[in-house]
Amino acid sequence: MNENVNTSVNQDDLFHFIDTDTIQSEKIIAPRYSYWRSVFRVFFRKKTNIVLIAFFLLIILSAYLLPMIWPYDPMEFVTNAPSFNLNPTKAMQFHNSHSLKWLLGSGPTGNSIFYGVFASSRISITLAVVCATINMIIGIILGAIWGYSKKFDAFMLVIYNIVANVPYILLISVLVYIIGSGFWPFVFALTVTGWLGIAYFFRTQVMIIRDREYSLASRCLGTPVLRVINKNILPFLTSVIVTILATELPSYISMEVFLSFIGVGLSASVPSLGRMIQQAQSAFLIYPWEFWPPVAVASAITIILYLLGQNLADATDPRTHM
Amino acid sequence: MKKYLAKRILFSIFSLLVVVMTVMLLVYTLINRNVIFQQDDTWNKKASNERTIYEYNKYQDYGYLVYENYSNYLRKQYQEKLGDDYQNDPQFKEDLKVIQDPATFQENEYVKGFLKEYAAKGYTVKYLKPDTSKSGKVRKGGQAFLIAVHEKNPVTRLWSYAANFFNIDTTNKVKDETLTDRYVRFEKDPYSGLFAIVGSGTLHKYLLYFDGRFPFIHQNFIKINLGTSYTRYRNQEITTVINTPTGDMITKRQQYPNMLGTDEYADTAIDFHSLTYNYGEVSPVEAKQFPDKYTVYSFLRSGFTMIENSFVIGIIATIIAYLLGLPLGITMARHKDGIIDKLGNAYIIFIMAVPSLAYIFMFSALGTSLFGLPYKFANAQVKILAYILPVISLALPSIGGLMKWMRRYMIDQMNSDYVKFARAEGLSEKEIFNIHISRNAFIYLVHGIPGSILGCLTGAIITERVYGVPGVGNLLTEAINQHDNGIIVAMTVFYTTLSIISIILGDLLLAKYDPRISLNADKGGGR
Repeated sequence: MNENVNTSVNQDDLFHFIDTDTIQSEKIIAPRYSYWRSVFRVFFRKKTNIVLIAFFLLIILSAYLLPMIWPYDPMEFVTNAPSFNLNPTKAMQFHNSHSLKWLLGSGPTGNSIFYGVFASSRISITLAVVCATINMIIGIILGAIWGYSKKFDAFMLVIYNIVANVPYILLISVLVYIIGSGFWPFVFALTVTGWLGIAYFFRTQVMIIRDREYSLASRCLGTPVLRVINKNILPFLTSVIVTILATELPSYISMEVFLSFIGVGLSASVPSLGRMIQQAQSAFLIYPWEFWPPVAVASAITIILYLLGQNLADATDPRTHM
Repeated sequence: MKKYLAKRILFSIFSLLVVVMTVMLLVYTLINRNVIFQQDDTWNKKASNERTIYEYNKYQDYGYLVYENYSNYLRKQYQEKLGDDYQNDPQFKEDLKVIQDPATFQENEYVKGFLKEYAAKGYTVKYLKPDTSKSGKVRKGGQAFLIAVHEKNPVTRLWSYAANFFNIDTTNKVKDETLTDRYVRFEKDPYSGLFAIVGSGTLHKYLLYFDGRFPFIHQNFIKINLGTSYTRYRNQEITTVINTPTGDMITKRQQYPNMLGTDEYADTAIDFHSLTYNYGEVSPVEAKQFPDKYTVYSFLRSGFTMIENSFVIGIIATIIAYLLGLPLGITMARHKDGIIDKLGNAYIIFIMAVPSLAYIFMFSALGTSLFGLPYKFANAQVKILAYILPVISLALPSIGGLMKWMRRYMIDQMNSDYVKFARAEGLSEKEIFNIHISRNAFIYLVHGIPGSILGCLTGAIITERVYGVPGVGNLLTEAINQHDNGIIVAMTVFYTTLSIISIILGDLLLAKYDPRISLNADKGGGR
């Protein structure tokens, strides 16, 4: 039956003539392309990224919200010497409670390791975010100018050559030694020359793009400098910026752990992961429950940040959008 | 090329000076000096003027200033005049007391002399008034003091540091008029059996000698002087500290210089090659043992020096890292996206992302519990075993870094024309990867080789701390914790010099390895 219906259709109804349209013929039909939508499409195509983001949110939420529900005070039991350095079972027996507080035992001042880990990771994450933001902003703005202006380049190279010769650890240690070890002095010590490395790396990238043909053509056509930087150079460097961010963010957490370990870290009043590790490291074979939790949390945060950053950097590279 | 090098070296020296100047400014002028008294019980016990005097004494110990007390000055004057019995002289006691009266003390002859001498030297003279209560009684520690203080200014500090940096030993080094016989000559060395260059009038007795310690031939003509430690190694020269073996003393059957030629022997650990001139009095015992005034010595010790400890661990780790990291990187690139590549990437991410402290502790826990390796350096029964864990801890991150970059550069090179050409010529994949691509990829890594070798000298902070290795890596952090400004400046110079030399050597090696690269701005492609 159906076949009959189809064959019975008049051929003239299927095709009809149209006039040539000069305006339409000038248009090129291409799929709609939105940069950021493509970035997220590529990023979420990988299932591991969703898992990573879930973990990341979990850590962020627990680091920022849990200390509000469970206030952490390292000096809570400081006068009660028998409560020091107890393993989980003994700590629960001692405090006669089976609350989560003593899930990981107690530390050198009778403090709860479980609560401490969250309160400390809050400080460590904040420090990393603040330092990375400051260094990235200064480093990228100055790096862009440094790469673009040849006069500024000569001047900055002299400064860079002098500062880069000072070992970073030495500089930070001396600065912390001088200005103290509170949270903001520590941020200052990490950022006072921290941006220089980022700026130098970015300068080289800008110089490479600056002299590409399309950029040169733009300049010949009289495009203003700011527009060249904004439209020709920066979009190309988005993935470079995200790559720097991916290594910078976790590096500050590691840096804080390292500096606390050698004794120039944050002061005792600011609970940080580095501080906890430093306090526990001398007896880490005797009281392993004090040492491994902060180490595990620090490692988890840095690995997640690193992987997320790397994958985001891959996704921001337009070449992966095909 | 020579011109280019000279320019580079000049600029390096300039930047070294700027760096040292900055660090000196930071540690000597910007840090609040009072921090050194934070945990000082003696300071807490002292009060009033005595506390101020104690502070000045400490500031002098820490190298902030030079200071002289009137009572010391007076003692010296009387000792010169009356010999050692001056203490009981009634006039001396009176002259000592005279400063307790603020109204009349300036009329005293000795006070006048003190004021005049130190004003001429550029010191600031300070008079601390007697601290009395309302009833006129002097408070505890409140007696008057007369002192002269000279703050070192940063420029003279830097200048004197630079001027004393190279210590050249000549026959006029010892300022002593009684020493008339000054010479430098070859002599047979009774302690090594070979010859030695021996000096008189020089600071060191043996200027060039052989012994059983690496590098077997030693010289004392030119010594680098990095400065003096103030607190950590009380008043020792830092160059000596890092070059002194850290092991136990070795007692041997030896002859003192005066026993030579006789059958007499003594059991002693003295290193007779280390003799230096004694500016003080030679004790009667020493006079029997030594023919001359070269009676200051150090002891023979076993084991490595601090710098050798750091270097040995570092260099073995570096060699292992290059031997493993490069081939692994090549293999990963060759089997890109294969199982080896994925495993390698996981390792790289682990090493890059996890704080180094965490995995060093992890490895130390694994090594001690699974293989029974010694954990602390000091209590190792077999010394060689104590090196294994530190070497592994240092090598693992370097392997990760080298793998990462080698893989990256190999992959970047894989689509080059020369690779396609080699394939077209029918070369095997193995040959293309192992010879042609790896050589080109290695260009990017050549620059870092001198740095990683010289970097071994600076030691590794975490590794040395965790395993208790007596090396140089911890000197800086220890110095910072103990406010030892001398070591801080010395380590700055040491680190900075090494990093400057590594960058220059890296550039030279790069130009040597890849002839296309020219360092000279006039030649070659660069703009």
